Amino acid sequence: MLEGIRKLNEIEWEVPKGFIDNMQVPGRFFLSDSLAATLDDGAVRQLANVATMPGIQKYSLAMPDIHWGYGFPIGGVAAFDMETGVISPGGVGFDINCGVRLITTPLKKSDLKDKKKLIEDIFRTIPTGVGTKSARRLTDHELSEIITDGAGWAVGQGYGMESDLDRCEGRGCMKEASMSDISTKALQRGLPQCGTLGSGNHFLEFQNVGEILDENAARVFGIEEDQVCFMIHCGSRGFGHQICTDHLKTLEAATKKYNIKLPDRQLACAPLTSPEGEAYFGAMAAAANYAWTNRQMITHLTRKVLEKTFGIDYDEMHLIYDVTHNVAKIEEHVIDGVKKKVCVHRKGATRAFGPGHRELPSDIRGVGQPVIIPGSMGTASYLLKGTAKAMEKTFGSTCHGAGRVMSRSKAKHNLRGADIISELAARGIIVKATSNAVIAEEAPDAYKSVSEVVNVVHRAGISMEVARLEPLGVIKG
Amino acid sequence: MPFEELEHTADVLMRITADTPEELFLESARAMFSIMFCNRGNTGIRHSFSTESDSLDSLLREFLSELLYLSEVNSTVFSDVSVTISGNTLQAEASGELFDQKKHAGGTEIKGVSYSGLNIKKEGKHYQVDILFDI
Repeated sequence: MLEGIRKLNEIEWEVPKGFIDNMQVPGRFFLSDSLAATLDDGAVRQLANVATMPGIQKYSLAMPDIHWGYGFPIGGVAAFDMETGVISPGGVGFDINCGVRLITTPLKKSDLKDKKKLIEDIFRTIPTGVGTKSARRLTDHELSEIITDGAGWAVGQGYGMESDLDRCEGRGCMKEASMSDISTKALQRGLPQCGTLGSGNHFLEFQNVGEILDENAARVFGIEEDQVCFMIHCGSRGFGHQICTDHLKTLEAATKKYNIKLPDRQLACAPLTSPEGEAYFGAMAAAANYAWTNRQMITHLTRKVLEKTFGIDYDEMHLIYDVTHNVAKIEEHVIDGVKKKVCVHRKGATRAFGPGHRELPSDIRGVGQPVIIPGSMGTASYLLKGTAKAMEKTFGSTCHGAGRVMSRSKAKHNLRGADIISELAARGIIVKATSNAVIAEEAPDAYKSVSEVVNVVHRAGISMEVARLEPLGVIKG
Repeated sequence: MPFEELEHTADVLMRITADTPEELFLESARAMFSIMFCNRGNTGIRHSFSTESDSLDSLLREFLSELLYLSEVNSTVFSDVSVTISGNTLQAEASGELFDQKKHAGGTEIKGVSYSGLNIKKEGKHYQVDILFDI
């Protein structure tokens, strides 16, 4: 471990003020001893960099999937005071509202007689990989409705059910979304891509529930052992990427204008109350709404394939929850005993609101928010629940996935896509991707153990295990 | 080697080296498109643009971001760019071919050009820059 970092207990570490100049608060992160061996110095420096930003509250935080990103570390969480604080695309990322959702089906593992054909049908149906376009090109008017209404637009068009909205953060819509500061370029990129998966670590995976770890929560969420589910991981596509690119430029100028000193230019930011900060927030929220719609469209296409293939009904496939990994949101948290509004940035982290939170729909409110943690390709994924402890310690946040340990170049050099396909096939897991190189880059060995990451958040009490999901087949960009 | 991939856990970090700023920009574009597309060719499809910024570093980000945008909205895979830089203004003409998934698949989408650590340096006779691409 780096010099100057203090271990607070078995799984919690502190980066004290003074680790780098100008830190306003200490940094804190969660990590087991075995995961600590995978921690890179760059990620800790980035955690400390965030602590220098104006108006940051309590701690610059990182979850146990912390790794080196740009701006914030991946796994980073920070809350900013609404009056003295800032908003930064460096705390959100280019892929605004990249997120994940989990949908159950009435099928059992034994019902999937021809998994290969199912995966191929899905791969043909969902545009996947670089350069692909949706079969349904939006009109300008439709795009403006998506920006305003988010996933509600898709449900209104028949691409989902009203109950889907109840199981999305904020019903799949940030009301702060604004058309005012979205460039023509972003709009152009948004028109052909709604309902496309993208590439990199994005995927659609079929899974079956391997083990229920919390009977009561599983029953309330609506998931049972051996049930077949599917999980979708993707974001706001070129629309969100362009919004981030455009606003980074204006916020870099704003950083100078407001005389904010930063150790990394990717942390470019502006006061939340400034015109530049408000402009970014409105555009970022628009991209978040686009991402929820994108995942909703992919859900619809997948449900249609399953309906046709297995003769099951559309309304038998329930969304358990949709969580966002990359976003800034205005939330209420208790800080030093006082309830106040703050702008919470989560960059590769998941909201994990505890039981009783009024944001949660009434049927699951007593249990806490469902939290979905995807594993790496070929490994288990987890369903967890948010906790009161997360509200106290992490602004209601937890980890978002396994977190990489091996660079993509090393993975491509060391591992062969074809070998991984056959190894997974031998375990009954079907993988279909646009190329073998993608499979090598996303190989299980390139990631930390998701079980270990989940174990840390469970032990820390910032979210608790509900079910383990085992992979059956996956498509990747 | 005008560009090489360096170690980075989550994204793609490229080191580009060239004799002139113009060549550095061209090779940066080639590095970027090599991440995204395989088997890039050139059938002479062209797109011209100009951009300006207050420093060479930000001009490079603007240039690469504009190419990402043009590539996506025109479904074009670029393999070459002629670049003219005058002060803080850049003029470019990118050329390539239409995207064909059968031919070009195998790369990874780039979501953006990070500001982190992007500083053009002059090392002896050479210009060098490390660029972190978010994928």
